[in-house]
Amino acid sequence: MKDILVTLLGKPEGIILFQLIEASQFTIYLSLIAFTGGAIFGGILTLLRILPNKASQRGATAFVWLFQSTPLLMLLFLTGLGAPRFLGLDIRPWTAAVISLTLHSSAFMADVWRGALESVPTGQWEAARAVGLSFFRSVQKVIMPQALRAALAPTVSFMVQIIKGTSLAYIIGFHDLMAIGKRWANATVAGSEPFIIFPIMALIYFTLCYPLTLWSRHLERRLGTSPKTLIVTTA
Amino acid sequence: MDLRFFEIYRSSEYLGLLGQGVATSAGLTIAGGVIGFTLGILLAVTRFERIKVLGLVAAGYVDFIRNTPLVVQMFFVAFGLPTLLCYQWPFWAHALLALSLNFSAYFSEIIWAGLKSVDPNQSEAANALGLPRYVVLWRVLLPQAMGKMFPSLSAQFIFLFLTTGIISEISVKDLTYAGVFIDSRTFRSFEVFLTLTVLYILVSLLFKTALAKLEQVSMHWKFVR
Repeated sequence: MKDILVTLLGKPEGIILFQLIEASQFTIYLSLIAFTGGAIFGGILTLLRILPNKASQRGATAFVWLFQSTPLLMLLFLTGLGAPRFLGLDIRPWTAAVISLTLHSSAFMADVWRGALESVPTGQWEAARAVGLSFFRSVQKVIMPQALRAALAPTVSFMVQIIKGTSLAYIIGFHDLMAIGKRWANATVAGSEPFIIFPIMALIYFTLCYPLTLWSRHLERRLGTSPKTLIVTTA
Repeated sequence: MDLRFFEIYRSSEYLGLLGQGVATSAGLTIAGGVIGFTLGILLAVTRFERIKVLGLVAAGYVDFIRNTPLVVQMFFVAFGLPTLLCYQWPFWAHALLALSLNFSAYFSEIIWAGLKSVDPNQSEAANALGLPRYVVLWRVLLPQAMGKMFPSLSAQFIFLFLTTGIISEISVKDLTYAGVFIDSRTFRSFEVFLTLTVLYILVSLLFKTALAKLEQVSMHWKFVR
C-alpha cells in the first residue's frame, strides 16, 4: 500500500498519507477498547441504578455525575501524568488512555441506557412483577428487549464521541492519527503544511465517524428513540 | 504517596495563574457560546427553511464539524488558515474562532431539532394571520423551539465548556494551561490536575446555576401557572 501511495502521490506526500492511515489503526483500536470497556462498566452502572437498593442507586448516580463533569483531558492528565507520579508506577500511555476513555464513556453510556430504560412504561415493570417474575427475570425478559430498541441509535451515535475523544490521547504521548499528524504538521517538509495535513486528518476522522452517524440515524428512523434519551454530544 | 496540595496553595503566583485561567476559560467559553449560538440559529433556520443551496451547505457543515474532533479543527484554524491566508492573530482570537465554529454546529443541531418539533399548526396559524415569514420564525417558531430545547442547549453548553481545555495546546493561557505550567514547576501532577478538575466542575456548576436563572428570566412564560 505504501508503494502504491508513493507512486501515486510522489515522495513526501505518499509517505505522509501512508503514515497517517497507518496511525489511524491505533485510533480505531483505542476506540474499540474504550467502547467495549465503556459498555461493560456502563452496563454495570445502569444495573446498579435500577436495582431496588438506595445505596447502589446513589453510588452509581454519583459515579456517573462525577465522570460526566470531569473533562476528558483532566482524566487523561490524571491517569497519564498524575497517577504515575503519585503512585510511583510506570503507567504506559496505552493504559492511561484506555482507563480514562473507559471511565469517560461508561458514565455517558450509563446515562444513555438509563434514558432508554426510563422510556419503557412503568406499567411494564408492574405487569412483569405482577405475573410473578423476579426482578432479574423481569429486566431480562420484559424490560431489556424494549429498552434495547430505544438504546441502539444513541449508543451507535455515542461511538462517534469516543472516536473523537481518542484524539486527545496524544497529549499523554499516545501514538495515534492525531500524534503523527501533528508531528508532520510541525515538520518543515513541503507537502506537510498545516493547511494540508489538518484537513486530511479531519477527513480521515470524518470517514471513521460519519458512517456511524448515518447508521445511528437509520436506526433512529427504523426503531425510533425515546424523547427521554439525552442528546449527549462532546466535542 | 503523599498528597501535597500546599505546594500549590501557598504560592500566590500559582493561585493567580489559576484565577486567570478560570477567567480565560470561562470568558472564552461564554464568548464562543454567544457567537456559536447566533451562528447556530442562522444555520438551523437555513436548514429548516430548506433554502436552496445554503440549506445543504449548512447541513453539510454541521455534519462535518460534529464528526471531526475539536482538536483537529482548532489546529487547522490556528495554524492552517493563518499560513494559507497570511494573517496574524493573537492566540485567544484563534481559540475563540475555533470554539465559535465548533459550538455553532452543536447548537444548530439542537435548535433545528427544536424547530422541527414545533407543532406545524403554529406555523399555519401564523401564516393565516398574514405574518411575514421572518416574523413567523422569530416570533412564533424560534421562541417555542428555544423553550423546548433550553435544557438540552444548556447541557450541551456545559459539555462543550468541559472540552475547551484543549485550547491550551495553542498557548491560550486558560485553566489547563495554568495547570500544565504549575505541574512543570512543582511536579505535583496528581494534586495539580485534581485541583483543576475541581475548578472545572465548580465553574460548570456555576454555569448551570446561571443558565437556570437565564431560563427563568428569558422564558418566564414557562414558569407561569
